[in-house]
Amino acid sequence: MEYGLKPLGREKFWLWALLTPTLIGLLFGALGSVVATVLLSFAKWDLLTPPTWAGIANYIDLFKDQKVLLSLTNTIKFTAMYVPGVVVISLLIAVLMNRKVRGVGLFRTAYFLPAVTSAVATALVWHMIYGRDTGILNFILERLGMQPVCWLCTENAMYAVVIVNIWGAIGEGMIIFLAGLTAIPREYHEAAAIDGANRFDQFFRITVPLITPSIFFQTLISTINAFQAYDYIYMLTRRPGGDSSIPVVVFSIYRNAWNFFNYGGASAQAIELTVIVALLMAFYFWLERRYVVYE
Amino acid sequence: MKNRLLVLVMVLSLILTACAGGQAPAASNEPATISMMMWGDPAELEVWNQIVADFHQAKPNITVKVEVSDWDSYWTKLKTLLSADTPPDVFAMDAPLYLDYQSRGVLLNLQPYLDKNPDLLKGVYPQTLDAYKTPDGMYGLPRDFQTIVLFYNKDMFDAAGVAYPTADWSYDDLRDAAKKLTVVGSDGKVSQFGFYSDLWDMELIWSEAIWAYGGDIINADHTKTLIAEPKAREAWQLFHDMMFEDKSWPDSTTAEEYGGDPFLAGVAAMTTIGHWAVPGYAEVNFKWDVAPMPKGPAGQATSVNSAGFVVGKSSKSPDAAFEFLKYVLSEPAQKRLAELGFACPVLQSVAESDSFLKQSTQIDQKVFLDSLVFAHMKPVFKGYDEWSSAIGDGMAGIWAGEVELEPTLDEAVKAADEVLASNE
Repeated sequence: MEYGLKPLGREKFWLWALLTPTLIGLLFGALGSVVATVLLSFAKWDLLTPPTWAGIANYIDLFKDQKVLLSLTNTIKFTAMYVPGVVVISLLIAVLMNRKVRGVGLFRTAYFLPAVTSAVATALVWHMIYGRDTGILNFILERLGMQPVCWLCTENAMYAVVIVNIWGAIGEGMIIFLAGLTAIPREYHEAAAIDGANRFDQFFRITVPLITPSIFFQTLISTINAFQAYDYIYMLTRRPGGDSSIPVVVFSIYRNAWNFFNYGGASAQAIELTVIVALLMAFYFWLERRYVVYE
Repeated sequence: MKNRLLVLVMVLSLILTACAGGQAPAASNEPATISMMMWGDPAELEVWNQIVADFHQAKPNITVKVEVSDWDSYWTKLKTLLSADTPPDVFAMDAPLYLDYQSRGVLLNLQPYLDKNPDLLKGVYPQTLDAYKTPDGMYGLPRDFQTIVLFYNKDMFDAAGVAYPTADWSYDDLRDAAKKLTVVGSDGKVSQFGFYSDLWDMELIWSEAIWAYGGDIINADHTKTLIAEPKAREAWQLFHDMMFEDKSWPDSTTAEEYGGDPFLAGVAAMTTIGHWAVPGYAEVNFKWDVAPMPKGPAGQATSVNSAGFVVGKSSKSPDAAFEFLKYVLSEPAQKRLAELGFACPVLQSVAESDSFLKQSTQIDQKVFLDSLVFAHMKPVFKGYDEWSSAIGDGMAGIWAGEVELEPTLDEAVKAADEVLASNE
C-alpha cells in the first residue's frame, strides 16, 4: 500500500522537526503508560502500598473471574452489532446526503448533531424515549395496540444501547463517507448510466469499490470506538457503585482499578483488550490488502 | 575553572538544602499552610470555607486550603495523590472505607495527639467514634454522622386518611400503610407508591430490617456474609412481597424513571434515608416529616455511619493538621455544620441545641438523634467496597424484577464470600 507523496531532501528535515513535539509526547506520555501498564499487569498493586510481583496470576484471573468474563462477552456482543451498524447506516446516509436535495445542509447538520452534543444530555433524552412506564416509545406502541417493552431491562438493554451508540456515531461516519463519495469523479457514474447500469448497479459496482478506503477506515475507527464505548452505556444502564446491567470491559477495568484496589487485574484487562483490538486490526489490514482499492 | 565548579556545586547544594528545609516538619507555632480535601457540593464548600476562615482567626498561623470534589472524583483524585505520595494534609473519610486506607498504612496515627488532648472526645457521641478505633489507636476523627429514619409525605397520608407513622410502628405496620397509600390509576398502572427505598447499598433499608428481624450482616471477623441466614431472609421476603405482591414499592427500573428517588418526585409516600437528603427534600412542594425506623420481631434498629477526617501519613505539618481536626470538633465549627443541614453534628451539646433542632427545615430533628439508642454501626472492614458491590450487583436483578429472590440471594452471598476470602 502506498499513500500520498514521499518527502524529499529538505522536506525530510521539516517533517521530523514538525513531528518531534508530538513524538516526544507520545514517547513519554503514551508509551510510558503502555510500558507501565504491561509491568503492572504482572503485579499485585493496590496503588497505596508498593506493588509486588504476581506472575501471570492476573491473567489467570481473566479466565476465572465471572464478572470479568461477563464484561468481555458484553463488549464483544456490542462490537459485533455496533461496527456493521455504524458502517452500513452511515454509508447509506452519506449516499443520501450526497445528492442535490433542497436543504441538504440542514439534514447533514441534523445527522452530525449527536457527535457534538454532550452524551450525558442526549442519554437523558433517550431515557425519556426508552422508559418502560413513562417512555415515548412505549406510549406509541400502546397506542398502536401493542404490548409495552422494557427497553432498558437487562434482556433488551444491549440492543437499546447499541441503537443509541450507532445513532451517536452516524454523524462522524457520514463525514468520512461524504469525503470519499465526493472524490469519485462524476464521469464514472455518467458513463455507467449511458451503458445502462441502474442506480443499484452503480452503487454496488462503482460507488462501493471506490470508497473501500473509507469503509476500511471507518470500520477500523468504529471497532476501536466500540471497545472503548462508555458514556451512553453508563448513562442508560448504570446501577449504583459504578455497576451496569450490561457491564462492558471499560466498566470492569475502571471498577477493578479505582473501586476495588486491584490495579494489577485492571492492567491485565487493559492488555487483554489491547491484544484483542490489535488482532482485529491485523485482520483488517489483511482484508485491506485483498479488497481495498486505491486509485 | 575548578573553582567555578566548586561554586556551582555549593550553590546547587544550597538550593537543594533550602528545598529540603522547606519540607521539614513545622513546629506548632510556626506558620503552616495545610491542604484539606473533601467530597461535597457547592453549598458544603461555602460552609467549609467559613469554618476554615473561623479557624484561621482562632489560629492565625495556620492557613487551610480547601478543595471539594463530587463523591466519585474525590476518591479517584485521592488515590492518585496518595500513590504519588503527595496526599492532602487533611482529607475526608467515609467510615466504611476507612480501613481500606488505614490498613494500607497511608494514614497518620492520631493516638499520640489524642493522648495529649484527653478531653477532646468527651462530648462526642461514642457511637460515632467506634468506626475509627483500631488496636493501635485512632487514625481518624468523625465530623458528623448519619442515622437512617423514615421520611413520610404528610399530604399523601392525609389524603388517604392513614395515621402518621409513630415510634411504635412495626414492619407489618409499614407494609399495611404502604398498601393503603398505593394508588392505582384508571389505566391499571400504579400512580402513587406507598414506599420506596434503594436496595443496592445496605445503609438505606436492608441492614436496618435484617437487624430488626434478628439477623446480622457479616460475622465478627469478616469472613462470612450472613444476609442469607433464616432471619435475614424474612426481611428480604418482606421487601420482595411489598414490591411484587402489594406493588406498593416501585422496582428499580420504575424508580429510575422517577429520577431514582420517587419520594422526592412526589410519587412515593414514604422512604428511608439519612439527613443528607433533608436539604434536597426541603425544596419540594409537599409537607413531610420524619419518624424512627419501624420495629421488627427482634426490636428496633437503624444504621449509624459517620464521615470524618484523617491526616495523610506523609503530611509535612501533622501538628497543624491535627489542630484543624480539633477545631472541627469544637462548638463553633459543629454549629456551622448543624446549620448546613446535611448531617448531624457529632458534638452532643451542639446536636441537642437549637442550632440543630431548630433548623430552617421544620421537621422533628430529634428523631435522628434519638435513633442512636438502637443504631448499629455500618460494617467497617478492609475490602468493604468490593464486598458490598458483590452483594449490590448480585441482587440488582431481583429488584429490577428480572430474577427470583432465593437463588439470586444465595449466589450473591457466595460471590460476596469469595471477595472476603480473596481479601484475607
